[in-house]
Amino acid sequence: MANWQEAMPSTRAYLMDKVLYQLHHNADHLEAYKADPDAYLARFDLPEDLARTIKENDVARMYLSGVNPYLLRAHCIGVRIPEDVSLAALRSLLDSKDYNNG
Amino acid sequence: MARITGIYTASHTPVMLNFPDRIPAHLRDEIFSAYAAMGADFMAGKPDVLVVLSNDHLHNFFLNNFPAFCIGCAESYESPIEHWLHAKRRTFAGDQAFGAFLLQRALKAEFDPAFSMEMVLDHGSLTPLELAGMDPDMPVVPVLINCVQPPMPTMRRSYNLGRFLGEAIAAYDGVERVAILATGGISHDIATPRMGMVNEEFDQTFLGLLESGEIDGTIQYATDFVHTAGNGCEEIRMWMAAMGAANGARYERTYYRAVHDWYTGIGIGRFAV
Repeated sequence: MANWQEAMPSTRAYLMDKVLYQLHHNADHLEAYKADPDAYLARFDLPEDLARTIKENDVARMYLSGVNPYLLRAHCIGVRIPEDVSLAALRSLLDSKDYNNG
Repeated sequence: MARITGIYTASHTPVMLNFPDRIPAHLRDEIFSAYAAMGADFMAGKPDVLVVLSNDHLHNFFLNNFPAFCIGCAESYESPIEHWLHAKRRTFAGDQAFGAFLLQRALKAEFDPAFSMEMVLDHGSLTPLELAGMDPDMPVVPVLINCVQPPMPTMRRSYNLGRFLGEAIAAYDGVERVAILATGGISHDIATPRMGMVNEEFDQTFLGLLESGEIDGTIQYATDFVHTAGNGCEEIRMWMAAMGAANGARYERTYYRAVHDWYTGIGIGRFAV
């Protein structure tokens, strides 16, 4: 497999990136998100399916959106998705035995 | 005319600080000892300043404005920026004059780095420094390379940047002794389906090439095979820059282990400058 899903980020990936970036770089955002995820996510002009993916902590779908992996990783730790849960969600997408042959 | 006292390469991962207990205690001790040994060797060179080659992990920079290269010209740098990183907050002294010298000289040499007069250093810079136990008061000049969001500078360009840095450091009169620490790599995947599947074969080949002194072969291998070793392996751009700064000096690995439960091929080494 390749190291990246997108050689140049798509707008969908950018929108997802923007939410995850803002969420973890502004003092009061994480609290606001935890208190009312829908209200927080409504601040962004996100397609509905992307907002749902974030709200449901659906790590596999977040990955498939093309989101930057470092932002996804920081988000998983930042909202305390258990380490083994996020690993398993990602691993479920590995469909090839020659994973490191590109 | 500054002298380069040492050029070191070392992996970094926040997992070392956040989830140290995911690996057995004896292995953790072995790894932490390897970082401490690097730190002791580093300090034995009595450097006045540290040039740290690292990458921002989308903290200072975002996709609205993302530099390929950035030279730090701040008076000081707070660290870490990650609210979730298990590390003590600290402030590194900067060396503004040295950063400004490197920046201006880079532009004259037809590199076009961005610059920053206010950056917060993340785990990429902090983790190896913390584990190496380096002098907390030593001033740093960060040089950041985009390894985290395509499109990114090529391996060869990163090597050439390092060659430039080596020459520019030698031409600087403001300090006498400068050490370089390149952090990142080797094989690892961050938040991908392969996360935790370290490509040890890549790492061994890469380290072997570095030790062989085949500069073009190393750059070519890094370029052609980095995609087999994970998105985190893109950070070997810093190792390319270190190799450039070393200008042909022999490389020696001092530690390597594929640490699957830390998701990373942990490599440490130095160029015998």
